[in-house]
Amino acid sequence: MNNRRMLNKTDFEDFVDSLLRAGITVIAPVRREQGGEKVEYRPIHSPAEIVLSGQPPVRPLKEVVFPPTEPLFNWKQTKASVQIEEVPTEFKETVVVGARPCDAAALEIVDKVMGWDYRDELWFGRRQAVTVLSLACPQSDDSCFCTAVGLSPESTRGADWFMSSVDGGFEIEILTPKGEKLLERCKDRCRETKGRTNAMPSLDAKVRANLNIDPGKVREWLEKHFDDPLWSDVALRCHGCGACAFVCPTCHCFDIVDELDGIGRGQRRRNWDACQPALFTLHGSGHNPRKDQTARFRQRIMHKFNIYPARFGEVLCTGCGRCIRACAAGMDLISILSEIDRKSAEEGA
Amino acid sequence: MNLYQPQLMRIEEIIEETGDTRTLKLQFENPSVAEQFDFKAGQFGEYSVFGAGECTFCIASSPTRKGYIEASFKEVGKVTRAMRRLNVGDTMGFRGPYGNHFPLDEMKGNNIVFISGGIGLAPVRCVIWNTLDLRDQFKDVTIIYGARSVADLVYKRELQGWAGRSDVKLYQCVDPGGETPDWKGEVCFVPSLVEKAAPSAKDSYAVVCGPPIVIRLTLPLLEKMGFAPERIYTTLENRMKCGLGKCGRCNVGPYYVCKDGPVFTSAQLKALPPEY
Amino acid sequence: MQELRDLAKKLLLDKQVNAILGYEWDRRGARPAFITEAGDCDRLVFDHRCVQNLAAYLSPRRANIAQLGRLAVVIKACDARAVAGLIRENQLKREDLVLIGVRCGGVVVNPSDSEQLNAENIAPRCVGCEQREPTLADHLVGETQSAPVGKANRDLRLSEIEKLNPEERLSLWTSLLSQCTRCYACRQVCPMCFCERCIADKTQPAWIESSPHSRGNFSWHLTRALHLAGRCVDCGECERACPAGIPLGLLNHKVARIVASRYGYAVSDDPSRETPIGSYRLDDEQEFIA
Repeated sequence: MNNRRMLNKTDFEDFVDSLLRAGITVIAPVRREQGGEKVEYRPIHSPAEIVLSGQPPVRPLKEVVFPPTEPLFNWKQTKASVQIEEVPTEFKETVVVGARPCDAAALEIVDKVMGWDYRDELWFGRRQAVTVLSLACPQSDDSCFCTAVGLSPESTRGADWFMSSVDGGFEIEILTPKGEKLLERCKDRCRETKGRTNAMPSLDAKVRANLNIDPGKVREWLEKHFDDPLWSDVALRCHGCGACAFVCPTCHCFDIVDELDGIGRGQRRRNWDACQPALFTLHGSGHNPRKDQTARFRQRIMHKFNIYPARFGEVLCTGCGRCIRACAAGMDLISILSEIDRKSAEEGA
Repeated sequence: MNLYQPQLMRIEEIIEETGDTRTLKLQFENPSVAEQFDFKAGQFGEYSVFGAGECTFCIASSPTRKGYIEASFKEVGKVTRAMRRLNVGDTMGFRGPYGNHFPLDEMKGNNIVFISGGIGLAPVRCVIWNTLDLRDQFKDVTIIYGARSVADLVYKRELQGWAGRSDVKLYQCVDPGGETPDWKGEVCFVPSLVEKAAPSAKDSYAVVCGPPIVIRLTLPLLEKMGFAPERIYTTLENRMKCGLGKCGRCNVGPYYVCKDGPVFTSAQLKALPPEY
Repeated sequence: MQELRDLAKKLLLDKQVNAILGYEWDRRGARPAFITEAGDCDRLVFDHRCVQNLAAYLSPRRANIAQLGRLAVVIKACDARAVAGLIRENQLKREDLVLIGVRCGGVVVNPSDSEQLNAENIAPRCVGCEQREPTLADHLVGETQSAPVGKANRDLRLSEIEKLNPEERLSLWTSLLSQCTRCYACRQVCPMCFCERCIADKTQPAWIESSPHSRGNFSWHLTRALHLAGRCVDCGECERACPAGIPLGLLNHKVARIVASRYGYAVSDDPSRETPIGSYRLDDEQEFIA
């Protein structure tokens, strides 16, 4: 038995339906309510809702394993004594259908920071519960650059199944034990098949035309250019919001806050946070180590393309292009990276 | 129990240090946690008041004193304000110990010079007591400490105790204008006091903590006096949330201060961008 | 376009200003440009893709922009209302700025949208906009524009929502606001959100919970809409910037209609015009007190 299967469209829909009937949460790209053409990952109720074509979902897959807000624990106070009520670290079985390769890969990249030394059970608890079925990327645009960061529109990284659209259905590559377990649920519906048939032309060349750089060279340049006019020039435009970070599949910074649910009880929660607002690093004393937008913007690029590679061996970016699409000020990571690449070549020559 | 869930601690004692600074003596409510708890000088924790939030402080007591920890804090924000409202017997949360520590083993057999300003004495005090509790394993111990005014000196009782010890050289100062009529110490800034004390760099380590200005002026001064940058230690106080190398907040240059620090050498700081 | 570039060049060469804040093309349409050299003025452009409200960059809190020195800013009529607001609320001095007004016949929703402006792609807020050029300007450039025509009708959309019963309205906004992750793009791009410390960032007490759950999101967006009552210039930037696609402009438009009907006030680009929130009148309605 090899690890490739064919599943025709009706069988695929029946399979998704069977997951739903088995009480499994199925998350897939669906049209946004009142959002026109925009698509987002959401739990579905019927396979008919799934939208596998078009632009990538506005927000990445990360919220499936890292919600924008989640309780860390609840507490109750009576007189001087406090009782803590734990939150579960085991989660409901979930299958993501139609993940973009750039979103699936991001989960594996962020695993590294969530698991070094201290293991974040909330992240890994959900990771364990979620089976990811990626789909060969059906559409790219002028913001995509996955090929510049070592991925591709057909990257299987982070996927338990990798699906390619072929005539009448999907060709499926089973990649992990979790994927095999899921296969058990649709064994009767699919048949074995040989290698990838490449029915869809790859978007590889199109994406490569957007940006073609060597992240290693970028890193070398960043290592030497903490001070460079590039930072202050580019940062003028930045408004300092968290849009880029919140739509980023790899940005994982968070805040921890306490909230009251009534008198003497409440929860501690963690919420997404971002390095661009001034408050992120502001000390109680009023001192701010990254006092202006130039410093804060540089930190974003440094963290993704220098610090994370130094620590974890790879860039903290999957080239999904969402930061570019989301930015109201026209901050463009593709332009910035090509500018760094150009400067680096100039200096190297 | 996930990583972010604190242990419960009971406030055993509250010591008023200055008008806005207090020390809390804390004990774990769960005896088996108390039994297993261990830390090293320089490590920190996430202290919390339920309903207000978490705050990062070093553990100010010495690991040689078992059964309790102490936290010294100044009221500056939401959590420290809530901490000030607590009374003896109240419950707090604690996660830790986190981060690296001062290399006490490496320092053994050498002279140690402690330099600090204001509430910066808290992390230094932990090492001071650790050293003094193992006094015969170190050579000369010099403590150089200053604050804005006499009222701002923290750990006053302990300063008196150290002043009375023959095996400790203590130098104290307050900023000009901060002295009282019966002030016996110097009236100058901490870096000038370091120059006056002129500790020998031979077989010595320096531990420096304090407000950024004290650090910025003292580190080059010590190097001028012959201290190797690798033998000058300090702690960074970047804002933190998780303490576990995840939330991204304390990141400066290649370091996550919460995991690679908070203790750094002067040599390491020199290689860092000025974002601390 | 040449008129704009020549003017900018002259302002820089005559040292009337240190920098021009305008628009330039990038890979994906128009974006803000900060030009300090006369030789770079040919990068300046203006057309219906120049949707951004550059007045947001004029807040005195933007230290890195203040460093550039004296600025000339390219403004559409709606942007001029924001500049007037900043002057009115003592954030800017009129004499510290050179205002280059551009004639505008409406803009598209996103700067990367089509090269042709039409009734389909025009920003809904432009439909019905009566101001083709700012009154508050030192210079006016560009060709005369005709009134924008479009199919979108915000008032119709609002009246549809108003027709819903309270439960239905709550469920609509609960669903829309559930998408908010509190990135604060709405606040950061807003020229009138210039507070030194936003109420959403205050912790003692935390008036608005920072968590992006329903409670926190409702407090944030409703508070912001109220803080912009009689101040929102209807530039549409908050809605455009929202990565969650929340129709924030509807909230502001609703509040603006209330302000208009109760106080007979519409936001203008005359800095000396008194606003309902900034003035006190004995005949103000105050039935809510009794």
